[in-house]
Amino acid sequence: MTKNRIIIALAGNANVGKSVIFNHLTGMHQHIGNWPGKTVERAEGTLHFKGHTIDVVDLPGIYSLSTFSIEEVISREYIAIENPNLVINVVDASVLERNLFFTLQLVELETPMIVALNQMDIAKEKGIKIDHKKLEKILGVPVIPTVAPTQVGIYKLLQTSVDIIEKGNATPLKIQYGEEVEEKIRELSRLVERLKLPYPARWVAIKLLEGDEQIEDKIRQLDPKILSASKKLAKEIERIHGHSCSTVMTSERYEIAGCIAREVQQIVPPVKLPKREKLHALTTHKVLGYPIMAAVILSVFFSIFSFGDYTSGFLSDLFYGFEPIFQDIGIIGELLWGGVAEGLIAGITIALPYLLPFYLVLYFLEDSGYLSRIAFLMDNLMHKIGLHGKAFIPMMLGFGCNVPACLGCRIMETDRERLIAIFVVTLVPCAATTVIILGLVGAFVGVQWALLLYVVDLLIIFALGRIAFKALPGEPTGLIMEMHDYKVPHGATVVKQTWFRLEEFIKMAFPLIIAGSFVIKLAEVLGLLEPIADVLSPVTVGWLGLPAITGITLIFGVLRKELTLIMLATLLGTSNFAAVQGFGPVQMIVFTLVAMLYIPCISTIGALVKELGWKKAYLITVFEIAFAIIVGGIAYRLLLLANIW
Amino acid sequence: MTHLKDGESGVIISTNTLPSHHFGSHRHHRWGFQKRLEDMGLTPGTKVTVVKSAPFHGPIELQVRGSRLAIGRGMADRILVSVER
Repeated sequence: MTKNRIIIALAGNANVGKSVIFNHLTGMHQHIGNWPGKTVERAEGTLHFKGHTIDVVDLPGIYSLSTFSIEEVISREYIAIENPNLVINVVDASVLERNLFFTLQLVELETPMIVALNQMDIAKEKGIKIDHKKLEKILGVPVIPTVAPTQVGIYKLLQTSVDIIEKGNATPLKIQYGEEVEEKIRELSRLVERLKLPYPARWVAIKLLEGDEQIEDKIRQLDPKILSASKKLAKEIERIHGHSCSTVMTSERYEIAGCIAREVQQIVPPVKLPKREKLHALTTHKVLGYPIMAAVILSVFFSIFSFGDYTSGFLSDLFYGFEPIFQDIGIIGELLWGGVAEGLIAGITIALPYLLPFYLVLYFLEDSGYLSRIAFLMDNLMHKIGLHGKAFIPMMLGFGCNVPACLGCRIMETDRERLIAIFVVTLVPCAATTVIILGLVGAFVGVQWALLLYVVDLLIIFALGRIAFKALPGEPTGLIMEMHDYKVPHGATVVKQTWFRLEEFIKMAFPLIIAGSFVIKLAEVLGLLEPIADVLSPVTVGWLGLPAITGITLIFGVLRKELTLIMLATLLGTSNFAAVQGFGPVQMIVFTLVAMLYIPCISTIGALVKELGWKKAYLITVFEIAFAIIVGGIAYRLLLLANIW
Repeated sequence: MTHLKDGESGVIISTNTLPSHHFGSHRHHRWGFQKRLEDMGLTPGTKVTVVKSAPFHGPIELQVRGSRLAIGRGMADRILVSVER
């Protein structure tokens, strides 16, 4: 590290305005990637301030530095091992006690830090007055009041950061537990000190007493005697208090946080209920909450689909205008157009018109706080498939596109829930599947049959989710979630999050779509499609009762599902499917059912690999193909039996 | 805690009231869930107020330590509170 290069990390609870501060600090110089080997997002940016080059790392929003979630482990390893020059702890002034609990843990990690006392405006509205000077004195670290959206205090935050880095921290608060606990901490610290760990000895002693598994594992390898000593000491504390040692220490830490909060804040509740409180009561209302949610979701979907449909059509007309240029240059032109260009167009006409507004609305709702209310309302339903309320959000995303939905499953806390959620999400009919359902069954068989297919799909999702939940080892976790006060979303932050998500999608999906369409085009040019259709005919014709030609279209569907329909029209030479011999309502329904279930498209497979690794991605893919074929065959026979047409 | 009515308050006695076989034998999970509840501020001795519960056995909205928490019914079942009436 050069002399002028400084690393600052932003840490704090979720939804305290951390990313808004991050955006103000770093402007356009941002980079969002993943933590090495993890599916947790890592946002980094650079700024220049008074001759310093400052790298800012935005750590994930967390409530504690224990090891419950990957985010917590990443944050504490980063702070303890990578040793940033300074940690800016962003604190929500309107929920001071809870936020200080986290601050105290940072203090215990003995990292140089300052506190950004953010959301002062919301605190004021709630009638909370905070004496930040007093807080500064108690904590022993600088405390800067800020209102992130209007940039209040941001300059001072930077100035103070640089000062602290140059001159060193003042003496931060030393957190004192009860004497009987302190005694044990001292005894353990003396033992730990000799090990020369990258963490402060006192912190390791505290974590050992708390029974932190990760630290225990490390100590076990180095000196198992220390571990047995700590277990003995923890037992003693447990005997004195009648609670586990971990409970005692967390309680005491919260007590200290509470004392400090009471010391520095004065609360005069406003006479009139603030608007955001009224909005909260309304949107989580036992009866009214549900119709409001339904109205919000339906209007979101309706506007996105109408916008997407219009823009998508407009863009493809525009791009297909270039086709004649390629037609003049023979087979290479055909490969370039059919393989490369069409793949690219497919990506653009799907990604931009549907995903862009989808992400915008989603982040808008998330930033405002409404998504956590939806999670609250839907928790019960999601529990039936072993998930909790938060999983409803990626599922909603899945109706737009399965790719961001898979990535969105990162909000689930444990690996097990992430797996179930991702599996369920890949069965949700995405925008492309909707095109097939409405364009084939809806248009040629009847809208009621299209709706029935949706119902069948939802039932399948429910049933398979429940089976996965029962079959997978491990325990389901419940919902624990803070419901933050509603706030006006910060426009620039929402736009930036949207852009980064879109970029992530483009980088992952585009190469796959293009490579995939190239391979299929090549197969077509080499005349391999017909033989492939013949090979598949026992399944397509024999079991599913479909025309042999559908084998080819289903292969194309791997690229993008709505291609099954477009290819069908191309190969049949007509888009009036009703006129085609041997392709009646039964075949249309079976075909749509199979297309709906049979495979996550190639981009979704890419997302699965990224999130779960090759093996699980492969298993899910193979399972869904087999499942679709089985269900399709059964449906075919049932429909024949019903003899409706 | 699931016995509290809307608007009622209580003081947490313990956050691990179900018999251990309920959680299986995996220590990490038990430790993890209890720790999670405590990290969110639901420690013994803390005063909690039930604001409302969602219908059909849905989650419960709590007021605790000046913040608003949503907590699933299964988790809430594990929290033993004493009620001051």
